[in-house]
Amino acid sequence: MSAKTSRFSASAILLVWGIILVYFQLSGRIDSYLHPDFHIPTFIAGIVLLAISGTLLFTFQTTGQSQANDCGSRHPFGGGILAIALLLVPLLCAVWISQGRFSASTVMNRGIVTDSAELPTFSSPVDPDLPGESGAPVDGSMMDPSLYLKKNAEGYIIAETVDLLYGASEEGMRADFENKDVEVKGQFISMRTGNPNGDRFQLMRLFVMCCAADARPVAITVQAKPGTQFPEMTWVKVLGKATFPVEGGRHIAVIEASAISETEPPAESFNY
Amino acid sequence: MNQPWFSFSLPDFSYAFLSVLLEGVPFILLGTLMSGLIDQFLPARVMTRFLPRSPFAGVCVSALLGLVFPMCECGIVPVIRRLIAKGLSVSNAVAYMLAAPIVNPITALSTYAAFRGQGAAEFTVLRLGLGFFIAALAGIAVYNLSIGSVLKKEILESVALGSANAGGGGGAPLSRRLVAAMDAGVRDFLDVMLYFIVGAAAASVFGTAVDQSLLLPLALHDWLAVPSMMALAGILALCSSSDAFVAATFVTFPAVAKLAFLVFGPMMDLKLVFIYAAVFRRRFVFGLAVGLFVLIGLICVRLSVIAL
Repeated sequence: MSAKTSRFSASAILLVWGIILVYFQLSGRIDSYLHPDFHIPTFIAGIVLLAISGTLLFTFQTTGQSQANDCGSRHPFGGGILAIALLLVPLLCAVWISQGRFSASTVMNRGIVTDSAELPTFSSPVDPDLPGESGAPVDGSMMDPSLYLKKNAEGYIIAETVDLLYGASEEGMRADFENKDVEVKGQFISMRTGNPNGDRFQLMRLFVMCCAADARPVAITVQAKPGTQFPEMTWVKVLGKATFPVEGGRHIAVIEASAISETEPPAESFNY
Repeated sequence: MNQPWFSFSLPDFSYAFLSVLLEGVPFILLGTLMSGLIDQFLPARVMTRFLPRSPFAGVCVSALLGLVFPMCECGIVPVIRRLIAKGLSVSNAVAYMLAAPIVNPITALSTYAAFRGQGAAEFTVLRLGLGFFIAALAGIAVYNLSIGSVLKKEILESVALGSANAGGGGGAPLSRRLVAAMDAGVRDFLDVMLYFIVGAAAASVFGTAVDQSLLLPLALHDWLAVPSMMALAGILALCSSSDAFVAATFVTFPAVAKLAFLVFGPMMDLKLVFIYAAVFRRRFVFGLAVGLFVLIGLICVRLSVIAL
């Protein structure tokens, strides 16, 4: 491959990568792939790749002579056709094929987390001591839950599966939800075990540290009418009462459902 | 309901694969841009002037360079490739390469945060200390090997070229040197991306298709938990800045197994095997992988005996 061809092919490769990175950011598709902390670096990388791609073309004349003086010691950009194909084909195929979500098969392979002990350490939302009327700190004072718990139009607390999972093991957090009406969105997973009456299923969300590749499925239990069924991984909205019964020697999060309906996936597909 | 141990789904694989690529590219790009600047603006042999002359001290200082120049495991390979071409000894480069993803402030902070309530300070010190020790030991081992048995032929040639062209870009105008730095960076980027893509693909197959619960029974035995967690680190190929958050959640595994996971993973995983192959001979990469696995495994099993 001539120096000119390899420079053009390198520019084209970077152009494709740059476009894809920028496209993911601008289209919002990146939300389903990366933790928000990584959105800006990925976007900047896309812009830089586009800039380099253009610069490679415009600086061909500048570097032509220096490459000629380079005694052939530096290999051309991007290697041969096979290397170019490897740099582009898997990426383009993945962009085309990926649906921005996992199937039930991968979720089961990852293993569903039902105990917050298997999640990163949680800091309970206990505020620093607030000044009392006298100006002195009040020991053990907590923030009013209504200040940080959002409610829907019907007065149901809008909760995440991970909130209730942590609530099962954190007494302070449990008090915020226990026996209160909640609205929780998640993906339907049928119970594999521990469902003798056939009236339970799991409500699952993906908990992410960096990217979808490290996502961990976290799920709570929903108690519904026997025979409640949806296709696996369907997004459902559950309205009901949050309870934390002791089963198997520990508190578990169970929603006693009053209404379950299929719903659109939320804007944020992950829990963080 | 019995689940097969292997169930491949192309959309799931594509999803995981793409997310690894999107996450990794910024760091590889940063590393390769740095490598281009090193190529043009760092005079040859300057590193050797700053590092101690004694091989042992040089390796130890190199293993601590991550505290000043933190790099993640994806971005560091192009950097050390240029540093080697600029005269940094291979033993020092290997020590820096293995230690920097662990012995750096970002990893220290993330480890501390992830292990809150689980002896965070002790765990962080142990992780960084063991990472430093293993990297220094590997550097010393590499010092005793011939450079030809470690580096790929093209890298050896670049070392010779670097020695011949001691001044980098020399007296060329700044604009031309910047363009040359970009060219060098792009070459490195495309080279490393080739290997990164293969590694990310391999890790994504394991991350989506293999039933990971198969590993859980191993947690019950210390001497099985340690190697199985190292194998898991190799397969999952997580980023060193966040792997502690994943390790901390393996509550059924003993602390030493998590330590092994956190020291072995940033030094050697599926994607790194391929990325290292951009610089090192395959035989060396294989030997390094086996050596690190055995050494970290033995140390961690030994630590379990003293009831860590």
